[in-house]
Amino acid sequence: MLALIALRNLSRNRRRTALSLLVITFGTAGVLLTLGFIRYSFAGLSDAIIHGGLGHLEIAPAASLAQGAGLMDRSGAPPALADWRILRDRVESRPGVLAAGAAIQFAGVATHGDRTGAVLGVAIEPERVRRMGMSVKLRGGEGLPDEPTATGDDRVLLALGLAQTLGAAPGDVITVMSTTVDGTLNALDLTVAGIFTSGFQDLDGRLMQVHVETAGRLLATSHASSLIVTLTDTGATAAVAADLESVLSSNPVPLAVVDWETRAPFYRQVRGLYIGIFVFLGSIIGVLVGLSISNTLQMSVMERVREFGTLLAIGTRRSQLAGLMTLEALWLAALGSLAGTLVTVAVAFLINMLQIEMPPPPAAVDPITLSLLIQPLDFVWVAIFMAALLAVAAVPPMLRILRLEVVEALGHV
Amino acid sequence: MTPTPTAPAPPASAPLFDVVDLARTYRRGSETVAALRGVTLSIGAGAFVVLAGPSGSGKSTLLNLMGGLDRPDAGDVRFGGVSLSRASDAERIELRRRQLGFVFQSFNLVPVLSAYENVEYGLWLAGMPRPERRARVERALEVVGLADRMTHRPDHLSGGERQRVAVARALVHEPRAVLADEPTASLDSKTGGAIIALLVELNQIQGTTFVVSTHDPAIADLAPRVVRLADGRVVADERRRA
Repeated sequence: MLALIALRNLSRNRRRTALSLLVITFGTAGVLLTLGFIRYSFAGLSDAIIHGGLGHLEIAPAASLAQGAGLMDRSGAPPALADWRILRDRVESRPGVLAAGAAIQFAGVATHGDRTGAVLGVAIEPERVRRMGMSVKLRGGEGLPDEPTATGDDRVLLALGLAQTLGAAPGDVITVMSTTVDGTLNALDLTVAGIFTSGFQDLDGRLMQVHVETAGRLLATSHASSLIVTLTDTGATAAVAADLESVLSSNPVPLAVVDWETRAPFYRQVRGLYIGIFVFLGSIIGVLVGLSISNTLQMSVMERVREFGTLLAIGTRRSQLAGLMTLEALWLAALGSLAGTLVTVAVAFLINMLQIEMPPPPAAVDPITLSLLIQPLDFVWVAIFMAALLAVAAVPPMLRILRLEVVEALGHV
Repeated sequence: MTPTPTAPAPPASAPLFDVVDLARTYRRGSETVAALRGVTLSIGAGAFVVLAGPSGSGKSTLLNLMGGLDRPDAGDVRFGGVSLSRASDAERIELRRRQLGFVFQSFNLVPVLSAYENVEYGLWLAGMPRPERRARVERALEVVGLADRMTHRPDHLSGGERQRVAVARALVHEPRAVLADEPTASLDSKTGGAIIALLVELNQIQGTTFVVSTHDPAIADLAPRVVRLADGRVVADERRRA
């Protein structure tokens, strides 16, 4: 019966209730939309990291990691993964693995005419890369051929910034010089097949891609730096990593399986930053909604002191009246959350449909499309948050009710 | 309207309220006001007593103390042998729920509840099952002549009808006593007279004890016993045959 009274009490002062609901509605929508944007950013960033080249997992000789080589940049260490083709086939036979491909990282110097630039080379298997769901963002020319080219006909993809530094365009021939695994200098002439972007300005200034066979000729090795592995489900990364560690534990050379989050520490940093921003914004919204509703409930108590006195006189416990106030707050939370959910769904649908283009984030090359990714559970959690918030907002009016003296309340004008 | 008897009237001689040397003072700013100064009174079960006196004579304070709504500074109220001064808050709440009914000057109905729901509320508090509640509420509203107004909210009822709902609310749980504080003060004389007549009728038929405060001499004249108060003291205790 208290729930019924609480619900009907909301209709007493309709304008005030409408304002309260408006505050909760916008608070709910604000939190949900922010959450949707952040979730989309996380998803976009993780997808960019995984399908931008890192894959879900990397398998490399444990020694090369123990020697202090960077988790992302192994260009300073000679490729040490022998028999990687056999290993690749074993990995690809495991459940949850979409595909695997060899990768070689190397550093060197590229020249084109009178221009020179330091390069960070990444050698790949183009066909495997495609199977792994990684795409190269071409800005000109064409991609690397799937099959290795003959000696003397090696191809290269240059990142935008590097191509500008070298003044090279598709069809041009550049010379790349690097150190072989036994420490001698070697150089290859490479034909520029295309220009691409990694999505990051800093990387675009140094990055180039070649076929693993080309890198093998340049570095005079048949080894790879590592195997890059992509999975059918990102959520299964930890499970598949554990499975691979178990399977590969018998390998003569100890291998390490490293997940993408470990290799991309900036993802965690960005995630931490975004979560911090979300908590800050959520706190501000929470305080504003809480204070507003608390004030409304206090006014409501002030107007009903005599009624509370009557209810106390006929046998209602103070705790029941306090419960009535909490129920009123919870009704507001429920109705406001529902309205906020509807507003959020409408706004999110509109934003996602309009495909609004945003300027590139700092250090990025491409603009991003504003999109919101809201999951059903988000609505539930935000509704629970609002209910908890409003229950707290009901505490000051509840305390006032708990202090009411029956006789004074009955005489209240 | 024909009130339905719900319980046999107890013998009028059995004491229900024993008020002993009751005193209560209030602080009004820096001033201390003595609302009651040693009131002693005994009211038997089934009695109909009017507390008469001018404003400020202590009628409402006495009713509040008799109803366990307030605690005295000195003296005691014993209700059915139970000391209200010594009873805990929980005991007094339980007593108000089950053994006492209240009627207020301004009706004090819950505006968002219908007449039916206002009457039902006390039974819900007492934990009575819904079917039994329904039977009792419908009977109580029938007794006060509002069987056809059950679904109306207070703002759609006249003053007299609201007070009838309040009377039904006070009686529905079959209390041993009903305390009515100026129940006719917000009504015109005709409606007020009808309400008092209803209370008297219910007292005679159901045997419920009524203690009614009023400053209206015409109403006091209707009661078999009138306790007159002035300046917080009992100045007369008049008993007459009804």
